[in-house]
Amino acid sequence: MQRIVDQGTLSQLRRGVIEYCVLALLRDGERYGFELVRTLSEVPGMVTSEGTLYPLLSRLRRAGVVETSWRESPSGPPRRYYRLTASGRSVLEAFSGEWVSFRNAVDHFLEQEKAV
Amino acid sequence: MNAATLHPLARDYLKRLKKAAAVLPRARRGELLAEIESHLSEALPAGASDAEALNVLDRLGEPEEIVAEAGTGQVLAPRAGLNEWLAIPFLLVGGLIIPVIGWFVGVVLLWSSRIWTLRDKLIGTLILPGGLAASAFLFLGGAGMQTCSGSSGTRRNPATGKLERFSESNCPSYSTLHVTLAIIAAILLVVLPILTSIYLGRRTTRAEVAA
Repeated sequence: MQRIVDQGTLSQLRRGVIEYCVLALLRDGERYGFELVRTLSEVPGMVTSEGTLYPLLSRLRRAGVVETSWRESPSGPPRRYYRLTASGRSVLEAFSGEWVSFRNAVDHFLEQEKAV
Repeated sequence: MNAATLHPLARDYLKRLKKAAAVLPRARRGELLAEIESHLSEALPAGASDAEALNVLDRLGEPEEIVAEAGTGQVLAPRAGLNEWLAIPFLLVGGLIIPVIGWFVGVVLLWSSRIWTLRDKLIGTLILPGGLAASAFLFLGGAGMQTCSGSSGTRRNPATGKLERFSESNCPSYSTLHVTLAIIAAILLVVLPILTSIYLGRRTTRAEVAA
């Protein structure tokens, strides 16, 4: 594949959406840090380095959209569990709506280009 | 998990991370190190090979990159919530409604806020402790000290044998300076807590604008 897309632009795009992907992963219940990080990084094209997700989780916690608790794990070290707060749930809902119209708008122009 | 049971390569990595994270605020550094150490313990089973360890570390990324990410500003800044909007009235008049406890509720709400800085919290607590209830208390205390006993009526003058009107009191006399100072103090006692409330209110909107 030719590398003509500016990597800076792509990483800006990822940065902009990844926190909402984290919130979306927590929609159906809590998950622990390692589980979240591995789930995100297993989808190609979203995460370039797993380590940078932890500062992001910390920011989400400080912003009050997720809350955490450390709990013992059946095997190995204690795990930090993340769950959505009420405010996180409304942020996620608002973003989901916005995202659909944004994605449609981008698709609209990209598809047009292709058709010409 | 004890860091000593980690793979040697993971231990080296944690050391590098710790060094790079020296620039971060202490709480954030501790949190980051705990998370990454927990990640390494989860990702690397005991007795993992060097190749496995290198793969896990590659996926984590460079310590400097992670620290740079931890140092960036908040993407989703916290917004003033119910907590903040309850704290201000409780601090100002809580003590008038439920003596002492009302104000303490305000203090707890103030210090548990993520919006206000340490300086805001100190101002909110120290100007004035107790809020308007303290002002009211000081007023009543001051008025109490100023009451003086006096009596008036009629009595028979022993010298003349006539009934005379009299009035006497032991009120001290105050100079104009005393009175002026007392009025200034009284105004400050009422105005300062109100100014503090306005200040705290403005600090929440400033945080929202910054978001």
